[in-house]
Amino acid sequence: MIEISDIRKKFRRKHVLNGVSFKVEKGQITSLIGLNGAGKSTILKAIMGLTPVDGGSIRIAGQPITHDIYHTVAFIPDRLTMPGSMKLRDGLQFMADFYPRWNPERAEDLMSFFRLERSERIGRLSKGTAAKFNLVLGMAQDVDYVLMDEPFSGIDMFSRELIAEVFTSQLVEDRGVLITTHEIRDVEHLIDRAVLLMEGHVIKDFNCEEMREAEGKSVIDVMREVYRP
Amino acid sequence: MNNEEWPEAVFNSRDPVYLQVVRHFKELIVTGRLTAGQTVPSRRELATRVKINPNTAQKAYKEMEEQKLILTEGNSPSRITSDTATLKAIRSELLGEAVEAFVQSVRRLDAPVDELVELVREKYTGAAGQPDGKAGGA
Repeated sequence: MIEISDIRKKFRRKHVLNGVSFKVEKGQITSLIGLNGAGKSTILKAIMGLTPVDGGSIRIAGQPITHDIYHTVAFIPDRLTMPGSMKLRDGLQFMADFYPRWNPERAEDLMSFFRLERSERIGRLSKGTAAKFNLVLGMAQDVDYVLMDEPFSGIDMFSRELIAEVFTSQLVEDRGVLITTHEIRDVEHLIDRAVLLMEGHVIKDFNCEEMREAEGKSVIDVMREVYRP
Repeated sequence: MNNEEWPEAVFNSRDPVYLQVVRHFKELIVTGRLTAGQTVPSRRELATRVKINPNTAQKAYKEMEEQKLILTEGNSPSRITSDTATLKAIRSELLGEAVEAFVQSVRRLDAPVDELVELVREKYTGAAGQPDGKAGGA
């Protein structure tokens, strides 16, 4: 489990995170939902140790964050960070060279699932194709947790559908997946938990099936209540 | 039914997905696309086929086991029940629900029952002749 307790962060004098707490359980897909600027990406970066927090704690399987985190957690940022001059095959080789948990067979499966061409240059990929390759780089690591920052943002509907299919496969089984999104329609049926952020606070944290069962509300219904009072 | 041609399931966002999956199975049983004793896909296969989270597939199978819709013995794959009473009950359940919904919506119009029955007969037998009755389907 990734346990985020009361984390706080200020940028200059603005409080971006105001005591945020929630958990990411293994074997579940948790979605961090919030309007732009709610602090979603900052939370992911904080979990990865890429940005310092001013207070609170983050523990993974009970342990504070250390360099070893990269053996346990994969981070898929909101854009591909590989140099554009590289070919996809070079990108895969880079991962194999530097990431000890890289799983080449899994990468192979994902490359064919997304129909990606190894000889293509990263810099020439369309936005949707780049998002797919970005996902390959993260999902092909044998790690317990995967964090994804806006995997659906700004890409065409068919690419989004294909990416959503990853959430129905064994790629997510037994892992803890944390995804940030504001395009919840793409994954509404697929997520186990929704954590709603507003102004640096968690204002709602619920199991989606239980919400449907107990109150007959979709995730979007709850979002409307919360964000449009 | 061959698992490769598993029919598409469309889910709404307000009912629990696992119960919608159970309902999907019931419809397949009532329409004869799943038959008594037939093996069903593993929960993993089902998740991929109907595009749901593997946890939801697991929950749906658990619910179907509790309702005695499917049987799982040891490590062998789950099967549709062969119990005729259960199978009959599923059919009455689905028909009952559909008729109930129909009655609720026409009751407001206060039409005489004979007229309704005649209209239903006309519409129903008419529609059966044209399988492409997709008008308004989204």
